[in-house]
Amino acid sequence: MIVTWSTAAPAIGAAFAASLVEVVEAFTIVLAVATLRGWRPATWGTAAGLAALTGGVVALGPLLNRVPIHGLQLAIGVLLLLFGLGWLRKATLRAAGAIPLHDEDAIFAAEAAELDATARRHGNRLDWIAGMTAFKAVILEGIEVVFIVIAVGAGRGLLVPAGIGALAACGVVLAVGAVVHRPLSRVPENTLKFGVGVMLSAFGVYWTGEGIGVPWPGQDLALFVFALLFLGAGMLGTAIARRPLAEAAR
Amino acid sequence: MSLIAEIAGELAGMFVGDARLSLAILAVVGVAAALRELSGLDPLLGGAVLLVGSLAVLIESVRRSARGNRLP
Repeated sequence: MIVTWSTAAPAIGAAFAASLVEVVEAFTIVLAVATLRGWRPATWGTAAGLAALTGGVVALGPLLNRVPIHGLQLAIGVLLLLFGLGWLRKATLRAAGAIPLHDEDAIFAAEAAELDATARRHGNRLDWIAGMTAFKAVILEGIEVVFIVIAVGAGRGLLVPAGIGALAACGVVLAVGAVVHRPLSRVPENTLKFGVGVMLSAFGVYWTGEGIGVPWPGQDLALFVFALLFLGAGMLGTAIARRPLAEAAR
Repeated sequence: MSLIAEIAGELAGMFVGDARLSLAILAVVGVAAALRELSGLDPLLGGAVLLVGSLAVLIESVRRSARGNRLP
């Protein structure tokens, strides 16, 4: 199957942006571990998490080929709708100021304080606990990255482009993190989440429709139209969500 | 064991952050699939219901949460 740029670009873009958000969140926690207990537990926790994720993908990945394509598209489409609309809803509410923004500095401080408190309770077992904290962060955020790669890539044989997008996001976060050596709090996380929510929701409608046998006009190009409509809906939602806050402020 | 429970909880949270939103999405998909199966109707009707329904569900969920000013 020949993969064209117009087919691969949305998958690469969605996987890159979504993975960037998840990797930044994992990086914050790994950095908190490294700052408090050194790079040794942070590194082995991260390496163990990546190894477990790789093992899971290698073991379960081939099963995807056994699922009938329409069933796979429908299942992935519905999961993408649940995931994408959930992200878009939260990002819309955050953009409107209805709920607080995700704050990497605050998460870093909270994680460091929790590890510090644990240190007082457990003494010499702290390296193990710190490593497990890094491990859990990598596993939990990594599972979301794996899902996103599968979701945007599996329906049309785009796993490799989507995987490249996710790996590029990991590379960017690691490179920037190695230079600045502090939480990446200046990443416009809510804007990214808004954009990713738009793209995942568009993919969700597209794959769900394909799964139930809807012949979308324009085929892949329909994705761009759906993305524009979800972008408009998100912006409308932001305006609607601001109204009760403005009324309350008066 | 607690790690597995935590991972399972995280996975569930990925898809069911807000139960009402999730149920509404599943209802829209169900209606779209049922319309697609009905003979004599344009297959695009199911697609239109899926697209418009998803957009409407999003806006309604945001409006409801903003009014309550809370996030479940």
